[in-house]
Amino acid sequence: MAVDALSRTFAALSDPTRRAILDRLVDGDATVNEIAEPFEMSLQAVSKHLMVLESAGLVSKGRDGQHRRCHAEGASLDPAIDWLDDRRQQWEDRLDRLGDHLRQIQRSNSTSSRKKES
Amino acid sequence: MTTSNADLGEVIITRIYEAPRELVWSCMTTPEHLTHFWGPPGMSTPVEDIVIELREGGRFETVMVNDATGERYPTSGVYVEIDAPSTLVWAEQGFAEGMTTTSTFSDLGNGRTEVVVHQRNVPPMFRSPEAQAGFNASLDRLEAYLRVLAS
Repeated sequence: MAVDALSRTFAALSDPTRRAILDRLVDGDATVNEIAEPFEMSLQAVSKHLMVLESAGLVSKGRDGQHRRCHAEGASLDPAIDWLDDRRQQWEDRLDRLGDHLRQIQRSNSTSSRKKES
Repeated sequence: MTTSNADLGEVIITRIYEAPRELVWSCMTTPEHLTHFWGPPGMSTPVEDIVIELREGGRFETVMVNDATGERYPTSGVYVEIDAPSTLVWAEQGFAEGMTTTSTFSDLGNGRTEVVVHQRNVPPMFRSPEAQAGFNASLDRLEAYLRVLAS
């Protein structure tokens, strides 16, 4: 997948305020004013965070003029989830294969030492 | 969110092997061993492409080759800590730059060894001051969180 898109996703999620905004939007669409309410920051600051979320594709805005509602785009997180899954799975599989390899070399070691003894 | 006391993007995987610690260590630090288990199924990791300079600052490079297409996927890292046979730390370069993989090998006695691979995924995008100051979540937790958001 495109590294840039993944980077944007993680960068957008790297900020606690933006994660809190996403949390809020997962509960339901909201206007910028509604989103800003619980935060001790200016509307402008919240809008900035929203812009980052929007450019990462995590949030979309409706077209309804002044009362544009923001919406969390859950599916846009799929690539990030897949990537995280891959990282873990890669190591799980690798360590399983290491186990196989260890069994194999120990078997052949004990076979060769038995040969030496006989 | 209750994601304070852990670093962002952690993978911790533990395995116990019926094998002595020295042997497990040498599997992780010798091309002739690594070639047997490093790449996923359908990929080989040719022994001649593996670079292991087992010293702090030394290179750790592998190339995974897709058996079907011949496509090559090089990875490279630099060893940052080596304490044989118990601790091996490397930092990845390239796309995953900033990510650190720490492997610890514990002798459990009776020829058994516990391996803990602790991967800290800290790509550059996580290294903003804000992220450093406060963004702490294990990879597992982050993933669970992402799933909630995605559902």
